[in-house]
Amino acid sequence: MEWLNKWFARLYRTFIVSDRYKTIIDGLEKTIIITIGALAIGVIIGTIVAMIKVFADGNKKLKPLDVLCNIYLTVIRGTPVVVQLLISFFIIFVSAKDGTWVATLTFGINSGAYVAETIRSGIMAIDAGQMEAGRSLGFSRLQTMKEIILPQAFKNVLPAIGNEMIALLKETSVAGYVAVTDLTKAANQIKNTTYDQVNPILLTALIYLAIVMLLTKLLGVMERRLRKSER
Amino acid sequence: MKGDYLIEVKDLKKHYNGGAIKALNGITTGIKKGEVVVVIGPSGSGKSTFLRSLNLLEVPTSGSITFEGKEITNPKTNINLHRQKMGMVFQHFNLFPHMTVLKNMTLAPIKLLKKTQEEAEKDAIELLNTVGLADRKDAYPSQLSGGQKQRIAIVRALCMKPDVMLFDEPTSALDPEMVGEVLDVMKKLAKEGMTMVVVTHEMGFAKEVANRILFIDDGVIMEEGTPEEIFGNPQNERTKAFLSKVL
Repeated sequence: MEWLNKWFARLYRTFIVSDRYKTIIDGLEKTIIITIGALAIGVIIGTIVAMIKVFADGNKKLKPLDVLCNIYLTVIRGTPVVVQLLISFFIIFVSAKDGTWVATLTFGINSGAYVAETIRSGIMAIDAGQMEAGRSLGFSRLQTMKEIILPQAFKNVLPAIGNEMIALLKETSVAGYVAVTDLTKAANQIKNTTYDQVNPILLTALIYLAIVMLLTKLLGVMERRLRKSER
Repeated sequence: MKGDYLIEVKDLKKHYNGGAIKALNGITTGIKKGEVVVVIGPSGSGKSTFLRSLNLLEVPTSGSITFEGKEITNPKTNINLHRQKMGMVFQHFNLFPHMTVLKNMTLAPIKLLKKTQEEAEKDAIELLNTVGLADRKDAYPSQLSGGQKQRIAIVRALCMKPDVMLFDEPTSALDPEMVGEVLDVMKKLAKEGMTMVVVTHEMGFAKEVANRILFIDDGVIMEEGTPEEIFGNPQNERTKAFLSKVL
């Protein structure tokens, strides 16, 4: 029992004294904000890029946009996200005071490149007859895409988008590089002030794990519900 | 004669691979209001391409199509507007799997004809009654049999109040016992005076319902005439050979 008491005392000193647990909560909040914000930006960018790439197939007017999308995909997927963060923070948004939105935007732009390919594959998997049926009723290509193809494509790629969210959540742990006190950075700060090398890091790991498990569970429920609608 | 045609097709050509493959090689014909035209021919003859050209799902290489006095092959024409007046039924139904039957039918009238939901649903249910499927209005396509799907696909097209209905082998993907229920709906439609262009292998339907039959092979109309002429006394050797195989 001796060690347990010691451990509790240690936990008390590390997290409760000077309300240090609040740093963790603030960090967690930032992590969640960045993850959700980035996913939203990523899905929007990804959908637009996917649609441009699909439509550019057989429409010469969209060729320049298609080239632009390819450059975007190549650059974003060809460089590490930490380097992208450094570029955003120290080269593009030099005067930004709050790193959170810079990080959100950067992770969003990064995620968009991966989401784009996911959504594009979702669109390509929809039977060509769906586009023909929509067009034959009088819908334009864009209308058919919006009303008929995308809803089906999103449903198909929902698990992949969920995985992207999980990956994103973990990836945001490098946000500390640009003066954002996210969960990981918060734990690191507590480690440095308290010299407790064990508990802050383990707690952080546990929090990430708990969120990921929760997300996985939610995703499963959502998927099952969506499937049911077709039976 | 000119004003008589609902659809007028002039020297329609569709070439692939820079002319190496000639799916359509100069088709000229007209479809009058209220007429039921059945298109027959061997597979690969170009009959489906011809039908799909009529609402520009296939963009022809050359030639012109005039629908209700408007040349729809002109790139400046807004084809979406004219397609609203040309219903189409596909071999594989192409219902929207993520929507209920009712939603399948009301989507286009609400979005394109700006009908209210109540109006659109009322029209849809009326049409569902005519095909005996009103009780399936809340079903999803995956819950329907093939014959039911195709009947829904027909009334979905009818919801737009089209002036012509195009049928692309509507019974080819059906189990034999379901062919009848779909053909019955089509016969009823023909009786009501709907202008129809039907690509089919159902020779019985062609004999019974068609005003005129087009026999297409090698991308051209080899022979055309009334069912009596085509089935009773075919002139062209190709027509004779084809009919001897399918009858």
